Amino acid sequence: MRLWGAALLSLPLSVMLVGLLAAALPVPWSSWLVLMLLLVVILWMGLVVLAAMPRRVLPGLAGLLVANGVAALLLQATALYGGGT
Amino acid sequence: MKAERLRRFIDLHASVGMVSGLLLFVAFFAGAINVFHHELHHWQALPSSSSAPHDADRFLERLTGHFPQAAERFYFLPGEDPGAMWKQDGEWRTAHASSFTGEGTFSVLPESGLADFINELHYQLAIPGGAGLLNIGMTLMGLVAVLYGVALFSGLLIHWPKLGKELLALRHQGNLRRYWKNLHNLIGVISLPFHLIMAVTGAAMGLFTVMAVLLGALVFGPQLQDVIAQETDVWPPMERAGEPVAMALMADYLSAAEHAVPGLQVAWVEVRGYGDSQGWLGVAGSVPGNLGHHAHVVLDPELKPLRVISPQQRNLNYASLSPVYSLHFGDYGGLPVKLMYFLLGLLGCLLFVSGNILWCERRSDRTGPSRASAFLLRLTLGVCVGVVSGVAVSFWVSKLGLHSPWADQVQLLERLAFVLVLLPLVLWSLRASPLRYCGLGMRIMPWLYLAIPVLSVLLEGSRAWREGDVLLVNLLMLSLAGLLWLVRIHFRRRVRLAEPHPLWVGRVSETHPLKAADAES
Repeated sequence: MRLWGAALLSLPLSVMLVGLLAAALPVPWSSWLVLMLLLVVILWMGLVVLAAMPRRVLPGLAGLLVANGVAALLLQATALYGGGT
Repeated sequence: MKAERLRRFIDLHASVGMVSGLLLFVAFFAGAINVFHHELHHWQALPSSSSAPHDADRFLERLTGHFPQAAERFYFLPGEDPGAMWKQDGEWRTAHASSFTGEGTFSVLPESGLADFINELHYQLAIPGGAGLLNIGMTLMGLVAVLYGVALFSGLLIHWPKLGKELLALRHQGNLRRYWKNLHNLIGVISLPFHLIMAVTGAAMGLFTVMAVLLGALVFGPQLQDVIAQETDVWPPMERAGEPVAMALMADYLSAAEHAVPGLQVAWVEVRGYGDSQGWLGVAGSVPGNLGHHAHVVLDPELKPLRVISPQQRNLNYASLSPVYSLHFGDYGGLPVKLMYFLLGLLGCLLFVSGNILWCERRSDRTGPSRASAFLLRLTLGVCVGVVSGVAVSFWVSKLGLHSPWADQVQLLERLAFVLVLLPLVLWSLRASPLRYCGLGMRIMPWLYLAIPVLSVLLEGSRAWREGDVLLVNLLMLSLAGLLWLVRIHFRRRVRLAEPHPLWVGRVSETHPLKAADAES
């Protein structure tokens, strides 16, 4: 339960965190697409491990859910979606 | 680290290891052999009937004359018997210069598909369905690679505080279970960089489509698809047919590419619009001495370079993509690195098997005998013995099939033989005593691999040692037989020195004392 929940919720979060990094860095995001992909994979693995730290299952998964929401809101503030490269 | 947190990490490590361990065993065993994919292609081919090299340009004229669809896009493979791959009515086809007779008649010669089968077993468990948008087997293996990465990170957190002690803790005396546990830890720690590389690059390659869809949906929008094409295509696809143009000699194109990138070793050429003024040729190869050794030279039909991508001249995306491939495939350092990958791949198999066995025994000790532990132990043994034996039998069928009346069906027979060996062995493992089953498997498997080079010598005579690639694959099969024999010796020693865990014995009763004799049978 903990593993599958963490794996499912960590994937969009890692994708959005890398998106936020792309928005923050002063280089065109299209120039480092491959590194972005590798970073998403490593972040995803790391987040699943971190989700195993809390003693109980629900707080960890709830934390991931909230983090997903916050990352999605922050992404709205960037010009990445449909914007230039 | 607090004991409770440590226990949670151990549980995470064990559960992701159990979920992914068996599939990783298949991927690593096939992957260890697949390191020599190129050599295996030569090993599986029938001996050439003609010693004179074929004319590449004549072959291409005949190919595009017989198959006009091929002229739109094909991959040319240079060599003494040049080949080409193209899509004919939606299906990939292969032809060689030797497929055409002196009068220009085309005839399909039977070919083994062993190297491609081993490759598919490695990256998609040979699950069919790679033609659609999402390759199910490849995506599954990508997910497994992520779980594998989680197991590695959690394993590192567990062992980090006592890493030094554990490196020196491999002993033969005392508790035999501890010996296998220490062996598991030792292999894991020593080959950690290799496994991290495999987990990250494997997940990135397997989940590329999923990641691209998610990045597009959540972050960049629909524009991402075009941007990926722009950044990763060596040259845009030909959009319209131009005027017919006389093509230069293939040797001149290769020479022009080598001139543009000194030291380039050509692997293949992508040809778009053969005989068309708007067409282009992408010469792909490698420049030895670089980790990211891949290079591309795009030429127009009149030999003018349109784009050069080389280790000294490429953008960040190519500079990061090339090492991803070379680190995963181990093709950046010649034979020594390939052999190292082969051994590390096999050690990885040992890591996954020992991990699964330790988990089953530990769970049984903690919670008492259970059907789940017994089932998982038997399934682990069944899959391992089944896959190792099945691959060996596929090798036999590949070699024997081309010399039999069923040569036209050899590609199907290789795959069928694998399944027909794997399934009964897995089913049998679920019924048999694990100790007896494992003992029998260990006894037979080295002979299965020893038979491969023997068959090669019997069927092809001196080719088995005169051609470098054929000799190398035969030696690898011999070494596999030797390594399996070594594992058998260790297995027997374990059974001789210590009472087997109750899980291994199957039915435990005073009238059914299955011990060392089982391992010998």
